[in-house]
Amino acid sequence: MEVFYFVPEVLFYILSGLILLSSVMVVSARNPVTSAIFLVLDLFFVAALYAKLDAHFTAAIQVLVYAGAIVVLFVFVIMLLNLKPEALRGVRFSVGEAAVLLITLVGFAIIGSELARTAPEAVIPGNLGAGAIELAGGNTFVVAMRMFTSYLWPFEMASILILLAIVACVMVAKKDKVLGAAHHFRGGSPE
Amino acid sequence: MIPVENYFLLASFVFLCGLSGVMFRRNLIMVLMSIELMLNAVNIVFVAASRQLAQVDGQIMVLFVITVAACEAAVGLAMVIALFRRYGTVNTEFLRLLRG
Amino acid sequence: MGTNFGIDLTSLLQWNQFTVDLVSFVVKFAILAGGLLQIPPVMVWVERRVPALMQRRRGPNRVGLFKWRLYGLLQSLADTIKLIFKEEVVPDGAHKVFYHLAPVFCVFPAFLIACAIPYGPDLNIFGYTIPLSVVRVDVGFLFIFAISSLAVYGVSLAGWASNNKYSLMGSLRASAQMISYEIPLGMSLLPIVLIYGTLDLGKIVEAQSSFFKWGAFTAPFSLLIFVICMFAETNRAPFDLAEGESELVAGFHTEYNSAKFAAFFLGEYVSMFVLSALASTVFFGGWQVPFVPYESLVAMLGSPNIAAIVGVLMLLLKSMFFMWLYIWVRWTLPRFRYDQLMSLGWKFMLPIGLANVVGTAVVLAVLRFK
Repeated sequence: MEVFYFVPEVLFYILSGLILLSSVMVVSARNPVTSAIFLVLDLFFVAALYAKLDAHFTAAIQVLVYAGAIVVLFVFVIMLLNLKPEALRGVRFSVGEAAVLLITLVGFAIIGSELARTAPEAVIPGNLGAGAIELAGGNTFVVAMRMFTSYLWPFEMASILILLAIVACVMVAKKDKVLGAAHHFRGGSPE
Repeated sequence: MIPVENYFLLASFVFLCGLSGVMFRRNLIMVLMSIELMLNAVNIVFVAASRQLAQVDGQIMVLFVITVAACEAAVGLAMVIALFRRYGTVNTEFLRLLRG
Repeated sequence: MGTNFGIDLTSLLQWNQFTVDLVSFVVKFAILAGGLLQIPPVMVWVERRVPALMQRRRGPNRVGLFKWRLYGLLQSLADTIKLIFKEEVVPDGAHKVFYHLAPVFCVFPAFLIACAIPYGPDLNIFGYTIPLSVVRVDVGFLFIFAISSLAVYGVSLAGWASNNKYSLMGSLRASAQMISYEIPLGMSLLPIVLIYGTLDLGKIVEAQSSFFKWGAFTAPFSLLIFVICMFAETNRAPFDLAEGESELVAGFHTEYNSAKFAAFFLGEYVSMFVLSALASTVFFGGWQVPFVPYESLVAMLGSPNIAAIVGVLMLLLKSMFFMWLYIWVRWTLPRFRYDQLMSLGWKFMLPIGLANVVGTAVVLAVLRFK
């Protein structure tokens, strides 16, 4: 988005701070609706990050589909089921859980940094840098050209996948005429 | 230029938040939201890598990941609704019929 | 372009393209926000006088200044003052944060969308070109639909946070309606993208240079679908079951009074205007004057700046046509029942939108294959 000519580095740090804050609040909010709204904020800031990375089409699709449809679905289900805030467990992690978390964190950081720095031979870099994308007709044009030539089959498969998901949702969430009359509470008290 | 490792570090932190949400939250819908957070972290990696390697294939992959996340969220929420109708709760501590 | 962060700060103190862009961004946003805020009072007055004349009565025409009646123009001012001074009653079990945050979610997206619409051709001041849209987004449409899909949160949060089962039902119905009609709304603009070949709104306006290249003539079904879905998106006209006065009390904003109620109405009128401006931009040529291409306009008027002002006025005129259409349809057609509304959206609008896209694609393929 051509608002400014120079996009300062500090924008990355601001955005990543906001993203981290929102992610932590998503996971640690007691009310599910609060969690969903923080998820919307998180997805919005990530879309801003994509825009900074010159992926304008992906940023728009992220807000349109992810923040504007998927999380709306979550909010609907939360409101329909009338879910109450849950009491969080205390901050008493068992040793095993804490170890898993720590190892995962350190492992991801190490693997990620190493891969970024030392494995350029694994993937052949393309020739579509930022300037070349502008010359070729814009981000959407380049993505579309690549998608409909090299990735046409996955694109059609994705539409079949969406069809399958629609059919599955309707079948799973349909009220069962036989059992639907009486709601049995099995397996414990309702929350 | 921001080195691409910073983006990967950010993505791994977000992934970790999602992972801890899946492990520690007892509400099934919160678990599904944490899964979305993890998928989002993967998307960040894809877009940053596509910028680093001067390709757009990463962004195309992001579109497919978003599509799959949408389908999976929809089917997961349909299952949550069916579970709520059957058992009256979405607390994972009570939904443990398959637990060994 | 890009991340050229090696800029030195002394260049911020003189007029170069960067500082001109920065200052014009702030000025444009201030003018836009101020201008958009003037629309609800005017619309409230229009909404009362025009239907009154349609229904052969007078409407409010008493509130004036001193002894002049002024056609009741100050009625909006009186309403605003009354709303601000009303006591704000927060319901007992309302969620402390979301009750106050929900009107923001309704108002904010409308202002953000208005930033992406091109209001006129480029200004040319002292050699610097200043485009007349607050931001220039190269994925113009997608940005607009993305931000307008955030308005659903305002409606659902408002109903849920009010701790009132009628509000909750009203808000669930209203948000289900809004997300159902977002799909045909976006799909009706796909043929426009196919025909003009770009997502950028500025380029689409520039491509409608002659009268018969307007979107209304090249994609007439899109115009029809877009207008119908426009009414449904803003919960207006025959689709206003969610806030209908005789239905669920007042729907999702039952528990809101005084300033927040005014905020919901502000958001509704501003998003009406923004969607009208979008429809004018895409289908009616935007800031282009009919039968007068841009170059001859500049030649007639002498300077591109006056042409820019004329362009802005033209866009406002076309948007006002759509606003008047909103009011006309509201006071003419009866309200849809909720199941009729939803089946219209899914079983009628969606297939017709799809058929529109496929038909346009086939026609374009045939025409451009030569």
